Amino acid sequence: MSSASFETIATAGTLPGYWSGVLRRLGRDPVAMFALLVILAMVLMAVFAPLIAPADPYRGQMLRRLRPIGTPGFPLGTDELGRDMLTRLIYGARLSLLMGVTPVFIAFFVGSAIGITAGYLGGKVNTVLMRTVDVFFAFPSVLLAIALSGALGAGIFNGLLSLTIVFIPPIARIAESVTTAVRKIEYVEAARASGASALTIVRVHVLGNVIGPIFVYATGLISVSLILASGLSFLGLGVKPPEPEWGLMLNTLRNAIYVQPWVAALPGAMIFITSISFNLLSDGLRSAMDLKS
Amino acid sequence: MLVYVLKRLIYTLPVAFGVSVVCFLLVHIAPGDPLTSVLPPDASAQLQAEMRKIYGFDRPLIVQYGLWVLKTLQGDLGVSIATGRPVAGELRLALGNTLMLAVLATLIGFVLGCLFGFVAGYFRDSWLDKLASFVSIIGVSVPHYWLGMVLVIIFSVQLNWLPATGAGPGGSADWAWDWVHVRHLILPAVTMSVIPMGIVARTVRALVADILSQEFITGQRAKGLLDVGVFRHVVKNAAPTALAVMGLQLGYLLGGSILIETVFSWPGTGFLLGQAIFQRDLPLLQGTILVLAMFFVALNLLVDVVQTMLDPRVQRT
Amino acid sequence: MSAPTSARTALSTAEAGPSTAGPLLSINGLTKHFPLKGGLFGQSRGVVRAVDGISFDVAEGETLGIVGESGCGKSTTARLLVDLISPDSGSVILGGRTLGVDLTVRDLRRQVQMVFQDSYASLNPRLTMQDAIAFGPMVNGMARDKAVALARDLLARVGLDPGRFAGRYPHELSGGQRQRVNIARALAFSPKIVVLDEAVSALDKSVEAQVLNLLADLKAELGLTYIFISHDLNVVRYMSDRVMVMYLGQVAEIGPVDALYATPAHPYSQALLAAMPSMDPDRRTMEAPLAGDPPNPINPPPGCRFHTRCRQADGVCSVTVPVLHALPQKGHLASCHLHIPGSGHTGATPRTEMAP
Repeated sequence: MSSASFETIATAGTLPGYWSGVLRRLGRDPVAMFALLVILAMVLMAVFAPLIAPADPYRGQMLRRLRPIGTPGFPLGTDELGRDMLTRLIYGARLSLLMGVTPVFIAFFVGSAIGITAGYLGGKVNTVLMRTVDVFFAFPSVLLAIALSGALGAGIFNGLLSLTIVFIPPIARIAESVTTAVRKIEYVEAARASGASALTIVRVHVLGNVIGPIFVYATGLISVSLILASGLSFLGLGVKPPEPEWGLMLNTLRNAIYVQPWVAALPGAMIFITSISFNLLSDGLRSAMDLKS
Repeated sequence: MLVYVLKRLIYTLPVAFGVSVVCFLLVHIAPGDPLTSVLPPDASAQLQAEMRKIYGFDRPLIVQYGLWVLKTLQGDLGVSIATGRPVAGELRLALGNTLMLAVLATLIGFVLGCLFGFVAGYFRDSWLDKLASFVSIIGVSVPHYWLGMVLVIIFSVQLNWLPATGAGPGGSADWAWDWVHVRHLILPAVTMSVIPMGIVARTVRALVADILSQEFITGQRAKGLLDVGVFRHVVKNAAPTALAVMGLQLGYLLGGSILIETVFSWPGTGFLLGQAIFQRDLPLLQGTILVLAMFFVALNLLVDVVQTMLDPRVQRT
Repeated sequence: MSAPTSARTALSTAEAGPSTAGPLLSINGLTKHFPLKGGLFGQSRGVVRAVDGISFDVAEGETLGIVGESGCGKSTTARLLVDLISPDSGSVILGGRTLGVDLTVRDLRRQVQMVFQDSYASLNPRLTMQDAIAFGPMVNGMARDKAVALARDLLARVGLDPGRFAGRYPHELSGGQRQRVNIARALAFSPKIVVLDEAVSALDKSVEAQVLNLLADLKAELGLTYIFISHDLNVVRYMSDRVMVMYLGQVAEIGPVDALYATPAHPYSQALLAAMPSMDPDRRTMEAPLAGDPPNPINPPPGCRFHTRCRQADGVCSVTVPVLHALPQKGHLASCHLHIPGSGHTGATPRTEMAP
């Protein structure tokens, strides 16, 4: 989705009562609602993992390594160290969701702050901020994430930091273009003519009218972030063993594809289901915001 | 036009400069002394001090950056710690392999994406549209490294039709366009093509639907104009944007090939990056990322210029 | 520059009437050029001379109309008056105090308020009407409950029942109602001057008349001074005491509205007034008085800016820039070589005849 359509949303779409209308339309979208249910299920699974999971995610027995799906006592088989797959997949939701959603969440705030500042102040501040953003935007996102976490080294914090840096530039760009559009509207000029400080104008007149479109854009990044976060762990960056995380599980099970191929593929399926759910929900939100439909 | 090209070129310079700074700093944000990236951990204090001088780590950062840029411009990207060979040489071979893979994947993705996108946009809101849209959503949502694994499971492990890894007998040095080698390319290329396919399909669908909803097209269809005429019009108007998206996707694939190359052990830049990360070979990491990022910057420039030439309405700044 | 300035001062004090202590607002040589970026190195490729050295006075209690084609600098002038954009040069003197010297932007804005053309875009879609009006006073230190009370009071004053309208959002109001709210918002500062930038242009004719009447009532009631910008010559005539004609960022002619409408001196004013739709079929315009669009303000023509479209243009017009010159027998000022004695224009009176 281009930034231009976000500007139309920002300038035409944020009437009071608009968001309740969006939610109402979203509620009537069966695909989006199904995606939402899946996401909620994943979140509940992550939160209540210790209550749901049948076994200990860390303890395995070498004697029962790589059992197939449907083994009694191990409905989804066991991994290369003989740990229960079902348990590890359930626990895996914790780190996978955390690593996927947190960077977008933080980047949403940082990117919005940068973009709104640049867009509202314009001029030299805009040039300096947006040129810096452009530099990071000049890297393909996967490459930037790998470059940063490759240099910083493995670990949850380094992974989160790298991914956050990756998602700040796109969000800052959208925030800047939406804010620039709103700044030119006359109610902002009228507010300036009232002698209000820049901070007050941004708080009262700009923020409420730009944050919605930026938020929707950010939701569209979550699925990319999930794939990237697990991808980092898959490469040996990000989460370190023996923590259960889907990307890392996929990595450690790679050599098992000749023995138990479908067990080895399970963690990836979890990433896929989560990622497509976020994408479908974001798409639904976007079309619910489109006043034309 | 010439002015636009020059302007775009000049705009690229600060970005390229920024990219080089980020790449340069990669070695310095790495935890610990940057020296640890070029020395074995058990090096003596005297050796450390000597090496520090040789590598220039004792000088101010700006001087270090200047020297690094000078060296880089002469094609010297430093020496890999793991192999002891020049990074530039390692990269040259790998870059060719990745380029081969990425170009093929982009082509497959572009053709399929255009097909899906066109069908979806042309028969908007029909079941065909829904199906095509669903396929493209899968394309952008699937973790491609996992898709690669699944394809290996199906076509290598279960059916034993195609090889799971590598670039054929003799490695990439002996590459030839025969079946023995090309069969190694099929699975990684198809896996990789899924991403551009989804994105191209989405773009083309939106373009086609937009063009078809324009009033004069509706009018022409109402007048009974043959679909061939409409089709030609759609292609003419959608092509510049679709091609631009394709160009950018090629850049993303070049930069993002690491996950797929790791799955298939394809001896490209991504594989090299994987090795660099695994062995904490910072010079190799830095050199590879610099070259890939600069490639992406140049490709962006090229896409913009070509797009402006094809479509004078687009004057991006 | 000095001769016409003194002439103007003499003229405006002569007719200002109630005010004896000089004009309420005095604009001197106000200039705003917008650089056109986009050269090879992002350098300036030229400037848009949006407002180019304009001077005028506004007396307390009067309404000054500003007319001109689109792109002549009317709206830029309006924004300069409330310092929404800063001038490149020139001074804004309000009540004897100079902006930037002994008058702060904040003080200026408190005393000079503005109403914009687009009633919808001027109101934050997320604020209720009473919050929109109360915003300004609160920013300037008024307590919330007092500001809200003031807002409701002002709503009543502009003819909107606060009980019905205070809690409404902009999209729930009609264009005329919204413009009333915008007027109320401007009034919340108790300003001396209200700049109305095409404030009624977007409204239906019947609604426009109601809002104009409201403006007239408010002016009488509160002793306001208006700067009324419009492209609609009939409306300007109805509202204004004096009128200023602008062309490509400069003042073509300025004077009392009746005199200027009756006997326009500048060929541009003549053409503009001739283009007015007339209700009288016998006075219907038979040919287009003005051909073409105004020239590009980026590279305005040398000499008199109007000479490229002027029927009475002469050799001097493309060379020398005419200055505003008092026309004693008409009671207004025009910047046209035709009316500057000794200018070299064949139609101008020779200098000797006009010598004092």
